Amino acid sequence: MTKRMWMALISVAGLLLGIYLTLYKFGFIGTLACGVTSCETVQTSRWSVFLGLPVATWGAGFYATMLILTIAGLQERYVDSRGLALAMMVLTGWGVLFTAWLNYLEGFVIHAWCEWCLGSAAMVLLLFVLSVLDFRELREVGEE
Amino acid sequence: MAKRRVEPGRGRKPGVVKSAKKPAANRAFFVIIAVIAIVGIAALTYLSTRPKAGTTIGFDPSLPKVESQGYVMGSPNAKLEVTEFGDYECPQCGRFATLTESDVRQRLVNTGEIRYRYIDFPLDMHRNTWNASIAAACADKQGKFWEMHDAIFASQDQWDGEATDNPNKVLKQVAARIPGINTDSFNVCLDTKQTQPKVQAHYQLSMARKIAATPTFFIGTQKFEGFLPYDEFKRHVEEELAKTAPGAGNVGGDSTKSAPLKKPGT
Repeated sequence: MTKRMWMALISVAGLLLGIYLTLYKFGFIGTLACGVTSCETVQTSRWSVFLGLPVATWGAGFYATMLILTIAGLQERYVDSRGLALAMMVLTGWGVLFTAWLNYLEGFVIHAWCEWCLGSAAMVLLLFVLSVLDFRELREVGEE
Repeated sequence: MAKRRVEPGRGRKPGVVKSAKKPAANRAFFVIIAVIAIVGIAALTYLSTRPKAGTTIGFDPSLPKVESQGYVMGSPNAKLEVTEFGDYECPQCGRFATLTESDVRQRLVNTGEIRYRYIDFPLDMHRNTWNASIAAACADKQGKFWEMHDAIFASQDQWDGEATDNPNKVLKQVAARIPGINTDSFNVCLDTKQTQPKVQAHYQLSMARKIAATPTFFIGTQKFEGFLPYDEFKRHVEEELAKTAPGAGNVGGDSTKSAPLKKPGT
């Protein structure tokens, strides 16, 4: 398994999670599966909507974009594309910052945590780490 | 320093293998991705289409339209009107109702500073919230709206979508604890959803005001979303009172149907 394969797998998982939370937000799911945290409080708070769309929908869009990029990055044509690696690193870096802001809101403003959001935060962080490693590796190869 | 191990197939210099990835391995990987996606989508489709007990109530456009501007508490001569758009199953609304609202009533409504309006905004994501709104409206028919409103929020964890598939059973028990309520007529009202058109009128008001979260408060000219502790609530009221001339504070909603001081219901 290459880094980009792992990234594609994580993106699929994140995309499904984003769709799940979006369906919940629009009332298609009913009750949210939430074991130990306060997903309901977080998902119904004013911060669960960003620029007119549920945060979950933005998340689904993020993961869908990452999935497209990683699958493209697995094609022979783009396998050594530093531009693509840079794009993924920038996108996931932005994702980490946005997720950090959401986690701050959960901890210090809403005073409630959502396990799905924490899971997504872990995935975004992992994607960022993998994309940094991927980019560094390509850069080093290019400098040889 | 040792060189970082490079994944096969990467590199641009001559001699570096351009792509040593085996197509077969890639194909297998894409099959795995596709299987995960298909299984995931199937699971999500099942979750979103399965019959959900207790979710039979929702907006029904075939019901007759009625006029209602919510439930008002306080003096028609109050200097300022505050409107809350709330959902009975929303945790932040419950928090406001149980922690803040008694102070609001005691110190701001009963003193004639503000008039308080509650408008239902039952969110689609809450499967039992329509039952609760209908139950509160049924209690209103007996002049017991605010008592029922408080009791519903206080017992939120007993009848909400996570607690039960039969919210009406619990809501009837909640109503039965309210002194002076006629449980027989309340139960008939709830079972036959007599007050659903009224709740729908409130829902449409909320949609017309483009309410995006619950609770949403209109305090004079200001809009606030989410829980408000009493101190913050009072500060906003004072800010509005300070900048509003006496008698010109009605901004939160249509107040043509104000109720006298302390009288519950519309």
